[in-house]
Amino acid sequence: MSVLEVDDIVVEFDTDAGRITAVDGVSLHLATGETLGLVGESGCGKSTLARAIMQLVPMQRGSVRLEGTDLGSLSRRELRRMRHRIQMVFQDPRGSLDPRMNVSTLIGEPLKVHSIGDRTSRAKAVAEAMELVGLPAAVADRLPSELSGGQQQRVGIARSIVTDPAVLVCDEPVSALDVSIQAQIINVLDELRDELDLAMLFIAHDLSVVRHLSDRVAVMYLGQIVETGTASEVFGEPRHPYTHGLISSVPRADAESAARLQTARRLVLGELPSLLDPPSGCRYRTRCPYATAECAEAEPAPEPVGPADGLHTVRCHHWRTIVSAAPEPQESAPSQELAI
Amino acid sequence: MSSLPLLEVEDLHVTFRTASGPVHAVDGVSFTMRPGSSLGVVGESGSGKSVTARALLRLFAITDDVQISGAVRFDGQDLLRIDERRLRDVRGGQIGMIFQDPLTSLNPLMAVGEQIAESLRLHRGMSRSEAASEAVELLARVGIADPEQRATELPSSFSGGMRQRVMISLAIACRPRLLIADEPTTALDVTVQAEILLLLDELRRSEGMALMLITHDFGVVAATCDDVQVMYAGKLVEKASMAHLFDRANHPYTEGLLRLVPRFEDAHTGRLHPIPGQPPITGGGGSSCAFAPRCSHAVDRCRSEVPPEIAVGPEHVSACWLAAERAKDTTDAGHPWRRTP
Repeated sequence: MSVLEVDDIVVEFDTDAGRITAVDGVSLHLATGETLGLVGESGCGKSTLARAIMQLVPMQRGSVRLEGTDLGSLSRRELRRMRHRIQMVFQDPRGSLDPRMNVSTLIGEPLKVHSIGDRTSRAKAVAEAMELVGLPAAVADRLPSELSGGQQQRVGIARSIVTDPAVLVCDEPVSALDVSIQAQIINVLDELRDELDLAMLFIAHDLSVVRHLSDRVAVMYLGQIVETGTASEVFGEPRHPYTHGLISSVPRADAESAARLQTARRLVLGELPSLLDPPSGCRYRTRCPYATAECAEAEPAPEPVGPADGLHTVRCHHWRTIVSAAPEPQESAPSQELAI
Repeated sequence: MSSLPLLEVEDLHVTFRTASGPVHAVDGVSFTMRPGSSLGVVGESGSGKSVTARALLRLFAITDDVQISGAVRFDGQDLLRIDERRLRDVRGGQIGMIFQDPLTSLNPLMAVGEQIAESLRLHRGMSRSEAASEAVELLARVGIADPEQRATELPSSFSGGMRQRVMISLAIACRPRLLIADEPTTALDVTVQAEILLLLDELRRSEGMALMLITHDFGVVAATCDDVQVMYAGKLVEKASMAHLFDRANHPYTEGLLRLVPRFEDAHTGRLHPIPGQPPITGGGGSSCAFAPRCSHAVDRCRSEVPPEIAVGPEHVSACWLAAERAKDTTDAGHPWRRTP
């Protein structure tokens, strides 16, 4: 059963230049113990979607159901009581920690805010959370400024799991960290998911990290999900030209690196259009080498790739013909031979 | 390609005096670059890779209490010993630089075309009108659509990727013989990064300039550079051709860096392998291998003597006491970082 069900969310904002639709009809679901990776370029709406799911920005349409409860139907008070079941990890660990609180106070704060447990049980929960994220007990009395970047992010994660959430929303949790610290934090998240059976929405622009952590993946472009499926379907056999372009853009440490970037250049043309004036029909058509008149007229609906009840769907009028015309079919083959 | 070096860095040391003591940010770095060649410099934050690049042009803040020694021979002159005026000609003239954040290097109040033209007048002695039309030409060359119009706009009206293109056009305006790019794509989206990397590669070939690219990402190096050197605690720990390094990374630190990041082509392959511990905050300058405290292969000698650069293949050196032994292992049994199930 899905622990999180997001149905047809629309989020609009007023900006100085006019009204924009940052999230445009997004649906997704998450099961216990499952990680859904959300990828897309800056401005595609992935962070706004995360905030909408957290009920931190108002939605114009759609619903978010957490463990069966429609969060939109709750009063503020009831919502506050639900909040400990869905928690968030942010990009900048330092900016999200109160510099005057020590580590144990910071980690215990969500329990206090949600009035969970008494002093003794809170202290125990804090100690457990610290152990789960690999923070030594010795740092409990330190201030955030006395911690390394990796330790700060561990505190951020400990804060988010201390309330025993069912869902963890991670918004670029490692992108502000140095590479060696990134690996540690990725492992922490990986272990937590297994240990606590968390459902995780993992937002990142680094496709390698997303592939490493995710069971399923959704690709966002201009507020819409253009392709979704299992990580191996979407990353191994991309059907949307944008997904294929994104994947080809990832610089890999191998001899075909430069050639792959050329493929990316052919698949992602020009610049990201403004959300103030999104293209008619298919959102991607202004950058797509396969676009036709049909793409400007009609908005493609998500279509199943393979079996109708399968998870792999794509939003493209031409995905069937593009498959055969894919510039480098060997790319979508499993890459075991590369690993030898 | 001429084999005479364009750039020859010899025993470069950079020491910052800080309130908490000296930091040996660069600790005896030597390398050469041929004209038109491409070199990637890889390492974690604090490894000294950016400081090395800045030291070549003595680009430090006035507030930095910094001591530089060694030699940086570029085109026959030692950049560490020429006076400030001649150095200014080299900066932005024969050597161009681009940084991670183009906004900090562009004047926010001046149209981008004017900024490029200013540099052309200064370094290439062009007239006002010559410089203005060359600026438009340069914007077109780095792939900016509608260059006449865009030349009149302020940096703030450009997207991140377009701003980096402007920065590149400014850096190549004076036809530099060397372009130093310090994490030029780190702040950019992956599709924009792809464009910028291709652009740098094409410009290097068409302009015949050498490229030094500083990054933490081996994938970025693989896409743009023929040679690579890895830095740790202010020292070069490994130098090789990129093609060679794919198969035969020798230094344990290089191996650690390569295994550290998830590789896109691997689906979930279990936990990642972080390098335990942290780089020394005081940089180099010790009497042992600086990596020894984090190295799972370290032996007694690593903790008592600084390893020299040991040749382990054609144009491949590794500063590791176990280099010769490890070179044998990697040729015999395939490479350890290629995580076969």
